[in-house]
Amino acid sequence: MNAQFAPATFAAAEPAAPQASTAEVQIDIRNVGKVYDSKATHQAVVALDGVSLRIKKGEFISLLGPSGCGKSTLLSIIAGFQSASSGQILQNGRPISKPDASRTVVFQDYALFGWMTVQQNVEFGLKAKGLPKAERADIARSLIKTVHLAGFEDKYPHQMSGGMKQRAAIARALAPDPDILLMDEPFGALDAQTRVLLQEEIARISTEAGKTVIFVTHGIDEAVFLADRVVVMSPRPGRVRDEVLVPLPRPRTAEMRSDPWFVSTVKDLWETLKPEWQKGD
Amino acid sequence: MEAEADAGRLPVETMRPRFTMIQNAFAGRPMRAAVGLTAFFAIWQAVTQLNLVDGFLLPSPVAIAEALWQLALDGSLWVHLGASLQRVAVGFLFACVVGLALGLICGWWRTVSDYVRPVIEALRPIPPLAWIPITILWFGLGDAASYFLVFLGAVFPVFIATYTAIRGLDRNQMNAALCLGAKPWQLFTDVLIPASLPIILPGLRIALGVGWMCVVTAELIAAQTGLGYLIQQSRMLFQINNVVAGMVTIGLIGFAMSAILERIERRVNAWAPSERS
Ligand SMILES: Nc1ncnc2c1ncn2[C@@H]1O[C@H](COP(=O)(O)OP(=O)(O)O)[C@@H](O)[C@H]1O
Ligand SMILES: [Mg+2]
Repeated sequence: MNAQFAPATFAAAEPAAPQASTAEVQIDIRNVGKVYDSKATHQAVVALDGVSLRIKKGEFISLLGPSGCGKSTLLSIIAGFQSASSGQILQNGRPISKPDASRTVVFQDYALFGWMTVQQNVEFGLKAKGLPKAERADIARSLIKTVHLAGFEDKYPHQMSGGMKQRAAIARALAPDPDILLMDEPFGALDAQTRVLLQEEIARISTEAGKTVIFVTHGIDEAVFLADRVVVMSPRPGRVRDEVLVPLPRPRTAEMRSDPWFVSTVKDLWETLKPEWQKGD
Repeated sequence: MEAEADAGRLPVETMRPRFTMIQNAFAGRPMRAAVGLTAFFAIWQAVTQLNLVDGFLLPSPVAIAEALWQLALDGSLWVHLGASLQRVAVGFLFACVVGLALGLICGWWRTVSDYVRPVIEALRPIPPLAWIPITILWFGLGDAASYFLVFLGAVFPVFIATYTAIRGLDRNQMNAALCLGAKPWQLFTDVLIPASLPIILPGLRIALGVGWMCVVTAELIAAQTGLGYLIQQSRMLFQINNVVAGMVTIGLIGFAMSAILERIERRVNAWAPSERS
């Protein structure tokens, strides 16, 4: 553990790993901009402006920024839910144009299917793949075990707490065995204790599964605790403003929260971001 | 202080069981429904028996029951009831096909809805009764006229429920399904339909109720069978008991249809917040 490591911040324009071969870049965000035309007010909102980012396979990225800086917009363009106004995003060299099971999303409001049991929710993506029933059930059961929901297979979302719902949603997103997991403030609606538990859980799961993760949050400690690289965004217009490389080893464990590097990085980030975030409110 | 509180609590605890016993006897909605209906008919019977109302203007429930019994025995009740039910079924089916399809299309494509909805909203306020003259002109006096009037009454509630349901679909849920690789068919059957049933089914129930009212209206004027025709014919023969017997049948059948659909709704939408108490 490199306790003497100073927070490594880079200018946005400079690529994170300058000589990274294109082969290991999994997601290449090239100069992406997004403008929303508001019909009601006749005012265009520039949600994203010239965002560039290269993400390597297996990397855990935290997208950190105050609300309204375009994190969700960027994530949904990566997911393929909407298209960029300018620029493009490549996945393994091919432009992303629509949603695909190689990029699954975990939402802040869970977005579970309320009419399906946990088991059926997790099986959804497997059914879409056309897997036979028995195989589907087996994979889903083991994923439900992975997220510590064994015994709740036949429960409906409304019968579970927020934390349990999010565990189910994570299992559902992992089911199609995606290359990339996209998470939009997944723990934002949970109470503090549940949030900490799930942070450790996602740290474990993402390391075990070896997935590329893009994790959107406005929690500084959460961003630093989970990520290999924290991408700091600033609002109006949404831009990448800073990057912080996190030298802590993976999997991340609870005691790293008291690591001096962790503590000072979180504090420094807060000090630099405070003026901007106060403006936002 | 604590002792005082305890002393205060004691009587309440002992009184509780007696309250729940009384509550249990009236527990369950079917029980309360039965009590309400019985009371209604009992008061009605009392009012007529005490001659507070002229028996010719309002026959007593017992007299109506007798009339119903006679109609059932000579078979005419079943003929008329069957005719009405068949008409409402056909008209309602048409209304469902058109209302669901149009609601789905307008809910999904905003541009289409911008063109279609003003037309629908302009047709909707015209009561089925006002359609009767032109309906007879178009379809004559027969089943087709009744089908058309039931259709007119039922299609708007079906459309509005479907449109509202599709408009209210959760964007994130749809996106979740898409990113999990759902094909259009799976999106439709596993997400879109179950997600919208909590709004569509109550709409269908209301539509069936309206359709039931419309079929009787149609039969009053434009048919030779059915409960509406029975009422009209009995009126001309001054068989006031049969008039009210027809009305009571309409009421009870409508009530039963609504109750059955509500049961189905409860089962299908058990997961939805509105169905939990
Ligand atoms: N569908 C939309 N239509 C218009 N404006 C939008 C829409 N979605 C987001 N915005 C605007 O874009 C900006 C970025 O939003 P968002 O991506 O949700 O930010 P974040 O997730 O960081 O809070 C905000 O100013 C927001 O109001
Ligand atoms: Mg957001």
